[in-house]
Amino acid sequence: MSATTTPVAARAAAAARTDGPTFGRVVAAEWTKLTSLRSPWWTAAVTVVVAGVISYLSATASSVDPGFEPARDLSSGLLLAQIGPLVLGILYGAGEFRTGAFRTTFTLVPRRWPALVAQAVVLTAFALVLGVLTVAACVVGVLPAAASRDLPLGLADGETPGIMLGMVVFVVGTALLGLALGALLRRTVPALVTALVVLIFLPVVLMTVSDPGVDANGMALPHSVTPAGAIGAFTPGTAAQLLTTGASSDGMPGTPDLGPVGGGLVLGAWIVLLLVVAGVRLRARDAR
Amino acid sequence: MIEVEALTKRYGSTTAVDGLTFTARPGTVTGFLGPNGAGKSTTMRVVVGLERPTSGSTRVDGRRYADLPAPLHAVGVMLDARSVHPGRTAYKHLLAMAQTHGIGRARVREVIAQTGLEPAAHRRAGTFSLGMGQRLGIAGALLGDPQTLILDEPVNGLDPDGVLWVRRLVRDLAAEGRTVLLSSHLMHELALCADRVVIIGRGRLLADATVQDIVEKSERAGVVRVRTTEPEALTRELLAAGAQVTPQEGGALQVRGASVDEVGTAARRCGATVLELAAETGSLEEAYLQLTGDAVEYRTAGTGAGAR
Repeated sequence: MSATTTPVAARAAAAARTDGPTFGRVVAAEWTKLTSLRSPWWTAAVTVVVAGVISYLSATASSVDPGFEPARDLSSGLLLAQIGPLVLGILYGAGEFRTGAFRTTFTLVPRRWPALVAQAVVLTAFALVLGVLTVAACVVGVLPAAASRDLPLGLADGETPGIMLGMVVFVVGTALLGLALGALLRRTVPALVTALVVLIFLPVVLMTVSDPGVDANGMALPHSVTPAGAIGAFTPGTAAQLLTTGASSDGMPGTPDLGPVGGGLVLGAWIVLLLVVAGVRLRARDAR
Repeated sequence: MIEVEALTKRYGSTTAVDGLTFTARPGTVTGFLGPNGAGKSTTMRVVVGLERPTSGSTRVDGRRYADLPAPLHAVGVMLDARSVHPGRTAYKHLLAMAQTHGIGRARVREVIAQTGLEPAAHRRAGTFSLGMGQRLGIAGALLGDPQTLILDEPVNGLDPDGVLWVRRLVRDLAAEGRTVLLSSHLMHELALCADRVVIIGRGRLLADATVQDIVEKSERAGVVRVRTTEPEALTRELLAAGAQVTPQEGGALQVRGASVDEVGTAARRCGATVLELAAETGSLEEAYLQLTGDAVEYRTAGTGAGAR
């Protein structure tokens, strides 16, 4: 059984010129790697279904309110559904290390960091489509409640397009945060626990602590920034949640009002920071 | 061409590889032999850039691995089976590998056929037997049609057919002028396909020679086996001539320090009838055990000196 039919030297000479791992090729390879696993598909499916179902339940529950506005319930499903893109990112980021597949990846791409950047690019594309589908599921979820009150959805009205865009960015950002944590911590469970604490538990705690509360007469105190709120606004979890708020909303009680754009920038900064740390670790450490 | 020069790799206080130097040359199958934990896999991981040497260097075709413009075309690497995501099919695993170097799907199908993976190509690697996993690893190593191949225990877990196939494959690859470095902890396996053997123990080089040289250097060389009707008389005669004699079962004697001719002459002198007389050749396995056994002793002495 011969290994080749072409003279070795000729092939090797051709190889040295053009056949290296360019960034575009690494991206193509990562796309194959992501889409050839099962987990991205089932996490995506669960995300869309959960987002739709929770939006439906939430909208149906609030449809009895006299001031019911269907568009306000659009993002209600995301609090739970965000676990989907988070798990997607973590499984993708930590999966290489958990399974030993990184040995293959790093022998093919010895500089290593292009592989991590390619993973971020590929996951962004995948999560972008997932984000659009998730928003679509949320819209479908609130339709029955809106129909029951004969209310228009008003998707193109006011801040709603901005909120829907924020929701898509939220899904992409959450997935990338998962990737960064997975690539940094290299193990699925620690990465997942960290992500849940940072994205879900911490915002709730800080929000509770930072709420200025009510005055002696039971009236809400005027909007003021508390220390816990200031810290909270710069955590990735709270920043991510800001993405799904309207531009004119006051933000959460006691927090500086960064708005959806500010929240997105804070989340983006966290993702970049964690990816850079993961990339530095890739360069510096042995890959056993 | 793989050059390992004064390579040392430490993990904390553990020294996995200790001043190792050897060269694997083109057109040759170089066997890389040592007991488990001797540092074979560590050396291979350093060569392909997964780990950094504590000191010393490794080069492939004169360059550091990380400086190779197209690593997949230069070096085919098969490390342990845990280098594949178990959730990915064999085909997709190989396709993703190929895509990093712009290699087409036709070549992927070619190596799948060449390694006999066709029936399993669309099954997830996690469902593979050890032998199928090895075939997948070898397929990945062949993908870029490289000049140099580094195969870590490729025959592990293969059925007899597969073992024969790997032997044949590495011989063919070397015959085409490629460099093949193949590790094993089984001496007889390497004896059948390697031209040279690099033996290490506790991270140190024990031998770097042809298979034939190693057998000849073994303790058994110069040992004569003789079976006679008068073992006692012959023993006396040989001892008087200055040889060492060890009685064996069935009246046979093992003689050191005397050639076959000398033993025959001695038998004639004392009137013993010779039933059997031959120079014993050491087996590779014995040569190997003797070398690695020495390494353990040497190592113990060395540690004492180092602690001074």
